[in-house]
Amino acid sequence: MKEETKNEMDLLLRRLGRRKETPVSNVAADHLDADELSTFAENALPAGARARYTAHLAECSRCRELVVQLSSAVGVVAATDTANVSKPSAWRMLLASLFTPMVLRYAVPALGLIVVAAIGVVVLRRNQPAQMITRVTNNEQHTPVPAAEPRASAGDVSPEAMRSPDGLADRQAKNQPVKAAPPPNAAPVVKSEETEVSKDAAAAQPKPDQQTASANEPRPAKAAPSATPEESQKPADTEVSKKEIRTLAATAPRSDRAFRDEAQREDKGNFARARKNKAESSEATGAPDTASVGSLHSDAVSANTRSVAGRRFQKKGGVWIDTAYDSSKDSVTLTRGSEQYRALVADEPAIKTIADELDGEIIVVWKGRTYRIR
Amino acid sequence: MNTGIENLLNEGAGRLLARAADNRSLSRDVLLPRITAAVEKYLLKDNANTPHAEISKFIDEMQADDLCLIIACERGDENAWSDLVERFTATVRSAARSASSNEDAAEDLAQSIWAELYGLRARKDGMPASKLAYYSGRGSLAGWLRAVVAQLAVDVFRKQSRLVQTEEDSDLERLARVVEGQPLVAGIPTPEESMSNRFAQAGVQQALHQAVQELPAEDRLLVKLYYFDNLRLREAGVVLGVHEATASRRLTRIQTDLRKRVTKILVDERGWTPAETERSFVEVAQHLDTDLESLLSKEAADLRG
Repeated sequence: MKEETKNEMDLLLRRLGRRKETPVSNVAADHLDADELSTFAENALPAGARARYTAHLAECSRCRELVVQLSSAVGVVAATDTANVSKPSAWRMLLASLFTPMVLRYAVPALGLIVVAAIGVVVLRRNQPAQMITRVTNNEQHTPVPAAEPRASAGDVSPEAMRSPDGLADRQAKNQPVKAAPPPNAAPVVKSEETEVSKDAAAAQPKPDQQTASANEPRPAKAAPSATPEESQKPADTEVSKKEIRTLAATAPRSDRAFRDEAQREDKGNFARARKNKAESSEATGAPDTASVGSLHSDAVSANTRSVAGRRFQKKGGVWIDTAYDSSKDSVTLTRGSEQYRALVADEPAIKTIADELDGEIIVVWKGRTYRIR
Repeated sequence: MNTGIENLLNEGAGRLLARAADNRSLSRDVLLPRITAAVEKYLLKDNANTPHAEISKFIDEMQADDLCLIIACERGDENAWSDLVERFTATVRSAARSASSNEDAAEDLAQSIWAELYGLRARKDGMPASKLAYYSGRGSLAGWLRAVVAQLAVDVFRKQSRLVQTEEDSDLERLARVVEGQPLVAGIPTPEESMSNRFAQAGVQQALHQAVQELPAEDRLLVKLYYFDNLRLREAGVVLGVHEATASRRLTRIQTDLRKRVTKILVDERGWTPAETERSFVEVAQHLDTDLESLLSKEAADLRG
């Protein structure tokens, strides 16, 4: 019934609206002047004056036409209306944003995967068999360091390693896996004395454990992932000599064992060779260098981030979004080439610069207002 | 104007000069008459006892830089003129383009505006009669310039647009002759329905017209913008300074209010019974629907023929 009532009145009012209005006056002095029109359109009038002009506009089609034209150019968004709406508290907004369908759509499956992965890790760690640690030595290319004092802990570093950055890299390469090593359950230790580890790769993939079988063959810098977990932990750019491989079985927990220092540190020449081999193998396999990967990544970042006219933009979903954009605020939508757009850029040429520089849709915050330019 | 308000205005002028990024070396005395005029026009005219705090707030919200620029231009400051032309040429051109039918007309209009602003005519005191004197500083200068352009364009082109509209209006006039007792459109009504419907329509339409006139100004303006000017709710909301959703809610309330008012007018002033009133609403609305459909089908047939 209410809807019918509304429709009836709507029809009657539409009929009434077709009637031609009689102009209030033909005398220019009776109309609003330019200042009154523009301040009304900009919503910059005190309440009393606004009410007075509203009454005039309700009767005067000429002034109304002008105000409509000016309002659309100004693009004033209901500032008063927004101010009157009581905003929910910050924590409510935060909660509301966390439980939006868009967030839940991805968060719930992701959370499920994390829980499953966590359970899997715990179960695997409990049942993990004895850890095999391989140590590979190459007597031809290295002078063996006298296996003197036992290593009291994984953190021990020889003075040589401390002095030389290469040595430090080597040490990192050898220590990190120790830190990351699973519980010491009598895993055989096979350690390469001829392990040629590049600094970058050692830092990036610091697992020196080697399987004897695979250690017999020199491998490219970026080894393809193997099927077995042990193989997958191999350092990617380790060159192993065929000369000598010695495997030691560690039958006691590592913390209880005194490791003999069979670790070999590359001298400068070995390191240079390692770099060369690495470069060659990189070239051969076409695998990008770590540094070049980083450079590509930074290029991708810069391609998605631009600074124009003092504003910083990030490209998200094909839209250039001002970093100062607040989605809770109202925005004015403009189309390039429209009257409203031309009026805006006439007043704010910097927005034109931004719109010219950035293709596609742009959200720009300018003087406290948000504009969505298409 | 009492001394208290004069002091208030004087202090306000000082603050305005202080916060302008470039006050064009103007003094308080130069600024004071302009600020006084704006306060009188927009505040004291509606309430002579406007609280002092409100007056101070009003002055502090004025466009300091724009006002200083315009006053400096009025005083013949060449640098100020250069700045004005440089900063607002694009604004004037854009406004002229949107108000004109072609580029040439837009260019002519823009030139006329600059001539008006510069003041080619002379006042009695020998100073140029420039439109700049009418800028109060309350709104933005860009907005004021657009309004000046729009006003001039309307004055120049209104006659022309009226001629163009006359033909279109004649169609609408046929729809609007109900009140005068003319048949509506298209299909020829049967004698029974023509008598009762015409009577009902005339009564309801007259009462509705009266009810709209009795609405508060803000509501009346919304009705005019939406039903008379055919604006969308979003556009009407922008004019009223409210969100589209608020305009929509307000319009729904107005429709309910109008129905009550129309019913009251018909019952109290025309002697209709409430039942007759209700029946008339339904009949008139149904008849309007039919009229519109027949009008559209007839026009479609005309186009095909």
